[in-house]
Parts: sequence; structure tokens; C-alpha cells
Amino acid sequence: MTFLQNIRNERARQRKKNPLKRDVFNQICSLVKQYHLKESFLSVLDNVEEDLSGDNLKFNRVKLKTPMESSLFSLATKDEYSLTMSIIGKVDNAYLKFANSPEEILLCGPLYRLNSTLGPEKLMRYHFETLFLHERAKIDHIKT
Amino acid sequence: MRQLLNSDLELFVESDFIYLPLLFDPEIEKETQALLQSGRAVENSGETESKIIVKIKDIHFIKTLSLHSLLKNYEEINAYSYKHLRNACLQKYHLTREVDSIFFGETLNTILFQVMPYFVRKNRGLQRKNLSDEEILDFVGEKIHIPGRYYKEAETFGDLQPLQAILKGLEDEKPIYKPPVNGLFTGRKLREWLHEAVHANVLASEQKRIAETLKVREQFSQAKPKHIAILLYLADTGSLEIDGFGFTRKNGYKGEYFVYKRVGEFVLKDYYARSYLFPACRVAVSTYTPFRPFVMEKYKHPFLLRHKSGQEICMQHFAPPDEFTAENAIRILEGGLTALRYGYDARRRNGYHSLDRTWVYIPTIDFEDYRI
Repeated sequence: MTFLQNIRNERARQRKKNPLKRDVFNQICSLVKQYHLKESFLSVLDNVEEDLSGDNLKFNRVKLKTPMESSLFSLATKDEYSLTMSIIGKVDNAYLKFANSPEEILLCGPLYRLNSTLGPEKLMRYHFETLFLHERAKIDHIKT
Repeated sequence: MRQLLNSDLELFVESDFIYLPLLFDPEIEKETQALLQSGRAVENSGETESKIIVKIKDIHFIKTLSLHSLLKNYEEINAYSYKHLRNACLQKYHLTREVDSIFFGETLNTILFQVMPYFVRKNRGLQRKNLSDEEILDFVGEKIHIPGRYYKEAETFGDLQPLQAILKGLEDEKPIYKPPVNGLFTGRKLREWLHEAVHANVLASEQKRIAETLKVREQFSQAKPKHIAILLYLADTGSLEIDGFGFTRKNGYKGEYFVYKRVGEFVLKDYYARSYLFPACRVAVSTYTPFRPFVMEKYKHPFLLRHKSGQEICMQHFAPPDEFTAENAIRILEGGLTALRYGYDARRRNGYHSLDRTWVYIPTIDFEDYRI
């Protein structure tokens, strides 16, 4: 490769658009601000497994994903920041950045435990409740 | 910045700087920790030592705007608010252009004390005498209703102490505003301080004007409050009308006026002695060039070129004067009034248009609708 080609390639690489990657902090911080979440949300997050163990969730209809426009760069107050970081710390899985509502944050952990191999397309398209019920039904079917 | 100052957000002020609550993201938190651990949160800026980040009541605040700079550039930062504050401040001490024009300006004094007495009926019966300035103001007071607030303002206008104190402070080169004490402020409280400081700055910039105003007010200190109230009313409204004579301030021109005299309905006759009734109008002259008489309303007349407002009256052998004086204003107004009412000669059909339709009639302006 000549020096000229090298320069051209380098410039082409610089001109290339780099899509902004989905950031878990921005996503969760946007949700915290949008839904005015408080510290009490953490206790709900702790007890989510108990709520899901019974027949609380029934597959009545396909739940639609809540449309959401999260900001590209979130800046939070101290309280919002600590809550955001606590949620991220508690849930700590790859699905969290696809949560579009507090409800989905709650279902994030259980869904991940059922199936940790779901692709981004599915996670972006379907509500976590729908995915969770689907995964649970699959497991129940295998068992029977 | 406007939103911050209109909010109840807690701000911290130290060494003339506003510190805002620090907003976080993971990167900022890392930087903050690094700064606080390394002790670099403190920096030397000039003589006073100020910190980039301070922690008060477990809240991090970050250094942002300089209050001094904010105040200095407030006119550029928020021009609308500055103008509003400036006007409020000048009005509070009666330092507005309108008040200046009546207490310092020659034009309004000429109109009020020299031109108006010529056109209004001052005395009852056959008594004839020239009125003094005070008597003219009494006469104006009898003819028009002055709202009560102008009497109250006249009392404060006569109180020279606040302005004397401000001027003394400026002459002694005392700091024009007191910087806020270090500590926590709400946005609104800081806004109040900022507005007071802007007021102080405005007054400092008007030092020369204050000095002049004080001199004039000392002269007026012996004047009756009623007279001052009348003058303040005229300064505020910029217009007056008594017995068909009046003046009104011209918008957009500093201290310029239209002086006018009303003409009632009048009749003109055409070549065939048919009568035409012309409606009432106002003949006016402006206090700036050209000093020519004109009709303020939308009007048509043989001496007016078109049918619209603000047309100059066609007058033969009329040489407009070079300056606005009482004699010139009276001469121009009388000339205009006479021309409208008595200038048209039916035999000669002078002017731009003829009242009757001639055989070479060109239908530009028609007076058939005025015929009686």
C-alpha cells in the first residue's frame, strides 16, 4: 500500500459514520427521570422474583413495547444518579439496555435467567413480559 | 440562565462565582472523584482562591458563571430583561426621556407656553391679558382631568433625597452594588440581587443625567405639586387637547410632536355657486422639518393632491421656515387653516382639483358626495 493510499484509507475511515451505541446508563437514567422513580423502586426490584413465582402473570394478550426516546447523553442529579447506578448494579445483565419501561426493568433479571441468548432484535421488538411468558411456556412444554 | 434564575433550585455563591449543583454520569463521577482525591478541586484564579467543585450538605456544586461578568454583560445576555429593568429604574426616579423632554426640552415648553395660549380661549368675557406659565398650568388643570397617581408621583418627584444619596455615592466612588455573601441561595433570591445590581449599574451609567435632573428639580422644588403632576401627566401621555388645539407625541421620533388645530365643518362654493360641505379635520405642523401645514386625517380638498391622510396643503408663495419657533408654528397653522377654508377661488378653480366637473374633466378626486 502506497503512502497516498494509506492517507486516503485513513481519511475514509475517519469520515465513516460511527453509530451511537445504546448505553445502559442513558437508557435507565432516562427511565428514572421520565417515570420519576424513587428509592422504593429498588425494594420492588428485590421482590420481583416472588411476584413472578405464582400465577400473577397470565398470557392474555401480546403486550406492546412502550415507545421511548431516550436522550443521547443523560445527566442526572445526585439522587437520580445513585438510583440509576443501583438499578444497573442490581440487575446487571445485557438485556437492561433494551428496557423501555420500569416494568421491563423488573422483568429483565427473570427473563435473563430463563434465556440469556435472546438477540437484540427480539429484545427491541417485544415487551419483556411477552418474552418472559413465551420462555416460561417453552420450559413448561419441555417439562411436560 | 433565565430558567435557573426563575427556579427554586439551590445555588451556591462563593468569591463572586455561581456554583450550580453538579449533574452526574459515570464519566463525570470518575473525574469528580479523581479531582477530589488529588486535591485539584482547588485552583488559584487570580488573587482569590476558588474551587472548581465544592461539597455542601452532601451536594456537589460546580463553579460556573462569574457574577461580575454576568452583571457586566447582562445587556447582551438578556437584552429584553435589561431594557425592562432599565426602564423600570429610570421611571422610578423619573429619569425617562419623556420627563426630560418636558423639564429640559424646549419644544414642548414652546408648544405649551407659547403656541397653545394663542389658540385657546383663556379668559372669560372681554378680558384680555397674557397668562404666566403658572396660570397656563392652572388653566390646563381646569380643562383636563389628571389621574390621582400623578399627584402621588409629584410628591415623590419633589423628594430629592434618594437621588442626592445616589449621586453622593457615585461621586465618592463607593462600590455601586454590594456583592452577595458567600453561601446558598435560591435561584429567585439570586435573581433579586441581580436585578438590584442592574439597577445600581443603570443609575451609575446615568450619573450626568442625575446631576442635571437634581439641578432642575431643585428649581422646581418651590413649584406647586399640582403643576408638577400636570407636567408629569403630559410627559407620560405626550398629548393634550384643549378647545380644538392640541399636540401629540410622534412615535419613533425622540421628543418630536405634531401640533394641530381642529377645523369644524365648512362650506365651499364652486363655479356655479353650488355648495359643498367639507367634514371636520385637524390641520397640523410637525416640530421637525419640513415645517409645512398638513391634514392629519384621510381627507380630500382642492388643495390636497390625493385622498389620504397626512397630506401637505398646497399653498402658493409659502416659504417654510428653517426652525421651529412659536411664531413660525402659529403662522404655519393659521396659513393652513385659512387656505383650507378660504383659499379656494371658484372663479379661478385654483388648487390641484376643481370642485365642479369641467369640460376637460379628469376623474381623479371627485367632490360630488360633498355637495349639498
